[in-house]
Amino acid sequence: MAFIRRYLPLVTGGFKNVYIGGQRKEIHRYVAPTLMVLKRREDKQGGKVIKPRNTFLEWNLEAEMYAFGKRLNENFDPDLLLQAFTDRSYVIKEEMKQKEMEFDIQMKDNRNLAEEGRKFMKQYIQLYLEAALPKFPIEGINGICDHLMSENVLANVSLHLGTKDIILADEYPVDNTTLANAFVAIVGALLHSSGEEQTAHFVRDFVITNLQGQDVNEFWHIEEPWIMLTDLIAKTGSNLEPRLIGEVGKNTLLACYRVGLYLDKKMLSSGFGETIATAKEMAAREALKKIFGTEENQYPINFKLNGIPKSSSKSRYQVSAS
Amino acid sequence: MSAAKRVQQWATFARTWHIFDCKWQDPYLSANVIKKYLMGMHKPIYHPMNDCGDVVVCINSRDIALRGDDWRQRAYFHHTGYPGGASWTLAWEVHNKDPTMIIKKAVYRSMKGNLQRRHTMQRMLIYPGEEVPEDIMQNVTNQIRQLRPVPTRLDHIPEDEVKKYPKVMEYPEDYVLK
Repeated sequence: MAFIRRYLPLVTGGFKNVYIGGQRKEIHRYVAPTLMVLKRREDKQGGKVIKPRNTFLEWNLEAEMYAFGKRLNENFDPDLLLQAFTDRSYVIKEEMKQKEMEFDIQMKDNRNLAEEGRKFMKQYIQLYLEAALPKFPIEGINGICDHLMSENVLANVSLHLGTKDIILADEYPVDNTTLANAFVAIVGALLHSSGEEQTAHFVRDFVITNLQGQDVNEFWHIEEPWIMLTDLIAKTGSNLEPRLIGEVGKNTLLACYRVGLYLDKKMLSSGFGETIATAKEMAAREALKKIFGTEENQYPINFKLNGIPKSSSKSRYQVSAS
Repeated sequence: MSAAKRVQQWATFARTWHIFDCKWQDPYLSANVIKKYLMGMHKPIYHPMNDCGDVVVCINSRDIALRGDDWRQRAYFHHTGYPGGASWTLAWEVHNKDPTMIIKKAVYRSMKGNLQRRHTMQRMLIYPGEEVPEDIMQNVTNQIRQLRPVPTRLDHIPEDEVKKYPKVMEYPEDYVLK
């Protein structure tokens, strides 16, 4: 299309001053049928073929990997980085090939690095969240950690760092598992190249920042908020009382109730719902958010904590254990 | 959508039921007020394409007050569609026939004539007196303020209270009251 647009003024130049009713025609009549035929031919060949970038003539893997590190402002050990980009499937494929040609070069895949990277990330994210969300219980922190370490999130980060073309795998385009695995292995490689603190900041900047604009409560599903809340309140010895503080359209399908929770006759939270039971449950959820410091209008999570935060797990309360 | 967002949505678009007492109120000025509640224009989420209008229950429509000589002067026009089918009915005649008609037409006329208008009108309930069905009254949770206070008529004040009221002067005994 770019080609057509570029040369269109030359073709239509002669008719510049001729008025052809309302809008000026910009695309020639032959374009659509031509494109249709091209598409039909392509389908006949078996669909669009995406050629891997690394099969191109001027592809330079070494330069690409060097640039990858420089783009991220990190100093990787080149051998480790190559290992991090090598997927298990690629090694198997290469070994088969070598067997046919009867020679043997040892290749390392990224399984070990990935394991190390995964272990480090899990530990660090846990510590970081404990520092960033000081009142949130350990179950909730685990929920957020599982979300951040999930394949989809890691694959998304990996893809946008530009690993898709550099990864050595037997298939192209690579699937999410390979992308996520490669990213975790890169973290492992960085851990060996630049030390823990540098790696921690890398994980913070590219993985933990995925929490920006997200509701952290959604990663931890509380089955029975009312029971959890009453258990928490029972410890303090205060009196918790739900009150119906608003209702609208009682006899209609669109009925809406508002229940307020009062702690020693002072309002703690309120919740809406289509029935009183739902409203009460939502009020309990709101109250829990208030206690955990994860309300809707909370101050944003701090993404600028430097170094590896110290563990505070011992002093931290667990909801289910109590 | 999380549970919290779902109930937030539910509460945002909840329909409130308002009551408006038409006693001694000008229907044409009241219409502009009622219209705002019917269309949801009093809400910050209002948008013409947004279904956020409330329900308004009007009571005492029999006791509306028209301006000046309007009961006799104002005519309501109707055309049957046949030649010579035009008719003009005076306001007092319309009101005798159906005491809810004048306020209904006033609100209908105050809104822009589009496809939404008839649906919006469905959300307005008018009762000529004070009697409203119990199930409807249970839905009502808000009252719209009247435009002007209902005046007290002298003949509605008990006679002994009027007699007790301090007077500036007494009429002479032989004074003939018209």
